[in-house]
Amino acid sequence: MAALIWIPLILPLSLALVSSLRQRSSWTLWLPVSAAGVLLGVGVGLILAVGSDGPLTTGAGLLRVDALSAWMLTVVGAVAVVALWGGIPHRTGRSRNIGTFATLLCLFLAAMTLAVVADNIGLMWVAIELTTITTAFLVGSRGGHGALEAAWKYVVLGSMGVAIAFLGIVLISAASRTSGEPSLSWVVLLAHAGGLDPSLVRAGAALAVLGFGTKAGLAPTHSWLPDAHSQAPATVSGLMSGVLLSVAFYAILRVQAIADAAVGPELMRGVLVTAGLLSLAVTAGLVITQKDFKRLLAYSSIEHMGLLALGAAAGGPLAIAAVLLHMLGHGLVKSSMFVLAGRILGFTGSHQIADVRNLLRRRPDLGGPFLLGAAALLGFPPFVTFFTEVAIIVAGFQRGLGWQMGLACALLLVVFAGIARHSLGMTVGAQPDLDAARTSPAPPDQPARFRQVPIVLALGASAVVGFAAWPLTGPLIAAVAALGGVR
Amino acid sequence: MSSELYQQLLATTTGLLLLTAVLQVWGRSTVRAIGLLVIQGTALAGLVLTVGVQAGEAAAPLVAGLLFVVKALVMPWVMLRSARLIGVTRERSARLRPAVELIGAAGLTLLAYAVSGPILGDTTDPATRAVPVGVSLVLLGFWQLLIRGSAITQLVGFLMLDNGIAAISSLTSGGLPLVVELGATLDVLLVVLILGALVVRMQAEEGHIDISELRELHD
Amino acid sequence: MTIESLAVIVIHLALAVTLTPVLIGVMRTTRARLEGRVGGGVWQPWRDLRKLLSKQPTRAPGSTPVLTLAPILLMASSLMLCALIPLVSTVALPGVPGDLFVVVGVLLLGTVALALLGLESGTAFGGMGSSRHMVIAALVEPTVLLSIYALSVPAGTSALAAIVQARLADSASLLNPVSLLAIFALVVVVIAETGRLPVDNPSTHLELTMIHEAMILESGGRDLGWLELGSWLRLTALLGVVANLALPWGVGQDAAPLSLLVGVAAITVKLLVLGAALAAAEVFIAKLRLFRVPELLAGSFVMAFLSVSASYLVF
Repeated sequence: MAALIWIPLILPLSLALVSSLRQRSSWTLWLPVSAAGVLLGVGVGLILAVGSDGPLTTGAGLLRVDALSAWMLTVVGAVAVVALWGGIPHRTGRSRNIGTFATLLCLFLAAMTLAVVADNIGLMWVAIELTTITTAFLVGSRGGHGALEAAWKYVVLGSMGVAIAFLGIVLISAASRTSGEPSLSWVVLLAHAGGLDPSLVRAGAALAVLGFGTKAGLAPTHSWLPDAHSQAPATVSGLMSGVLLSVAFYAILRVQAIADAAVGPELMRGVLVTAGLLSLAVTAGLVITQKDFKRLLAYSSIEHMGLLALGAAAGGPLAIAAVLLHMLGHGLVKSSMFVLAGRILGFTGSHQIADVRNLLRRRPDLGGPFLLGAAALLGFPPFVTFFTEVAIIVAGFQRGLGWQMGLACALLLVVFAGIARHSLGMTVGAQPDLDAARTSPAPPDQPARFRQVPIVLALGASAVVGFAAWPLTGPLIAAVAALGGVR
Repeated sequence: MSSELYQQLLATTTGLLLLTAVLQVWGRSTVRAIGLLVIQGTALAGLVLTVGVQAGEAAAPLVAGLLFVVKALVMPWVMLRSARLIGVTRERSARLRPAVELIGAAGLTLLAYAVSGPILGDTTDPATRAVPVGVSLVLLGFWQLLIRGSAITQLVGFLMLDNGIAAISSLTSGGLPLVVELGATLDVLLVVLILGALVVRMQAEEGHIDISELRELHD
Repeated sequence: MTIESLAVIVIHLALAVTLTPVLIGVMRTTRARLEGRVGGGVWQPWRDLRKLLSKQPTRAPGSTPVLTLAPILLMASSLMLCALIPLVSTVALPGVPGDLFVVVGVLLLGTVALALLGLESGTAFGGMGSSRHMVIAALVEPTVLLSIYALSVPAGTSALAAIVQARLADSASLLNPVSLLAIFALVVVVIAETGRLPVDNPSTHLELTMIHEAMILESGGRDLGWLELGSWLRLTALLGVVANLALPWGVGQDAAPLSLLVGVAAITVKLLVLGAALAAAEVFIAKLRLFRVPELLAGSFVMAFLSVSASYLVF
């Protein structure tokens, strides 16, 4: 069964090779989608395999899949399918460097897989840094001043953050010297957590969380995120928001497990609560006056990452399970929202919220899902995000984070008001200038049933999962246990 | 290796690292800053080799050779090429007064020495006692990124930061596993290549490489 | 006062006075050759000096005794500097140790003498040169103090001879961060103090850019000869300090004839090589704008400061 791990690593690499050889062929765009599909399948297969046989190890112990890795693989696969499939541009809007685009997307998937299945903090770091590299050109691929600026900020801030994380990893590795054999393996570190040098672990874990937090879009080092998400093509924004942020957060969860076991939960709880509340506050402060709808979605991602941080700070089976489920729900919804935002951009030709009005009437195929997706992002009941948000807040209250969760609820209300106002304005708000609507060019991008499929699937899944969660209970509990169980 | 020679080599390489870092903050010429990177990369490779040989690691010459090739030859060459390609060899404007920059750099180095002590605890190991030099490199790299407007100088700052982390890694844990070292070096090389390409594109599209002029995206 | 230390001092003075013109000659010749000129030869400064010293000085009517006294004061302070600095041997003068603070004080005495001389001449250029010289001196002195102080921390004393002795005994400390930073700072300030490029161009003929030359523009004959020799001796002394702090090998630790002989040979080689290197470097450097000189010296001050703090925190 361990050979399964190699499939999602090698397949995207070979597909990347194929698409780099066939630069002009438009069918190469389907290669990343198929890679993501395979990733999803392998993820589900690994969940089953790990559930029956326990963790799988391969590659001289460098690769290891436990329940958490399998869960993350599934999340990555599912979200990537939605973002990549939905993001395939319409025949009229295709550029010439399709092959390069597809190559980089395949490499991105391979790097994400490596980050999740590596049983070595160092190797995981290498993989996460690789994602920065593969997405750098994707962010800047649209060209123009804004894209260039976004790409520069993204690469500099991203690699700087990841460099800090590397410093943290180095210190953790140094801390493991006192416990006998120096190691960077999760399993070994977790097993010998008691023997780690406490002051080095403290410094190392704090730096690692700060560094990976940069990549996960947590405040105060979030500033690259709105720029990159607003300038990148829709697919890439969706992938970054749904996959990249989650995988960076996965790294934080792993580091937190080690730090908690070595020096107690207070340190990580303090760091994560601060980052989470700051992220919520940043979103609350900027979402109301936001003018650009892609930036609005980006800030919503910061808000959700903040929520995840609060959940991780609370700890315990309920909160961690909710965090893991929230990654899936948020990823599915956010990637379809970015895909929709890309289509709205193609339809109106403008980033401005004010230019997009009455979408439900003008383009029901865009407006309907957009409104539903916004509801899901805000945590309305049928969607899984409602359940996970409630679970995180309840768990926080249970575990003694009373006033923090109270503050978080207040900030969430502000965010709610801001996003609701803007998305309602975009979908049902009156057209301010009817002449403009009449003279605007005919929509170049006709609705095709086929292109609606991933969005319908994603929104449908996120609506159903909340009620029919029973097949997920087992894997989620196993994933929580893989993080060191009840803390 | 005798203990005296080991200490001497440690002192020399870390001394060179700190000296080049301060000189990079001091100077205004991008070409000279890139030249200092060559010395810094060489000193780093020497440090890794010294620590590795002392610890009896078989892979140490390999890692040190890789570091030397990548950090002292390839990266400076790439950056020099970018700088020559766009014809920018000097920093155009200063955000801060030079004295303020230098006082900040001195303060950060002091901070590095002050914070490393409590974290590392009391130790007599000469390698661990040299860790503050690595920390100062990291902080000075941040300082460079913060105070300099030119994209190429920022890149130099990023590499200084990275050299500092590599030095700390070598001094505290005697280096990471070979796979990780290879991957990390490759990653940094790729980042430098990407940023170098972006710098050239920036000069072509905007006509300057001043980061503080990039203000289109904001809230 | 023992006979040994007296002998050492005599050797120091004799060596400094004989070697200095050769050092200047080597530096000028190196520079000339690198620039594609023939140059006046290594012995030219000797001949210049002899010629100047045999000439009567011309003094303007109404000039004060400063004009007569300043060259003597400069010469005396430079000789004293050479006597105090451990050039050949670390045997110190009892009672008056070659203390760091004494050395800097003596150095300043010569600086002040030169500045007064510049003011005395009453011309525009002299005053300009003096004011520039004092600006540089004000920036240089603290750095000299700090950087040598950083080196004195491990030795536990501020006597130069003892510092050199301690560095000779502990060769591991020669290239550690503290001493690298300190030596680098020291090199920069020595260049500034002795009026070399990029701070001042010793061979300039343009009065507006002069610093050192502007001050001695009005002197002539014997006065000029003493002034030149005094300034050159400062260069020898400061270069000697740097050379013996950076590379202390060969310095005698007692007054035995053999170790003195080795010491003389070592310092001669070190000074000539260092001088030639300095001159070679000068070929490639352009003079810095005067307004940017403080920037340069501030940088070296920060380095000296860093090395002091680092020497307390780690080594």
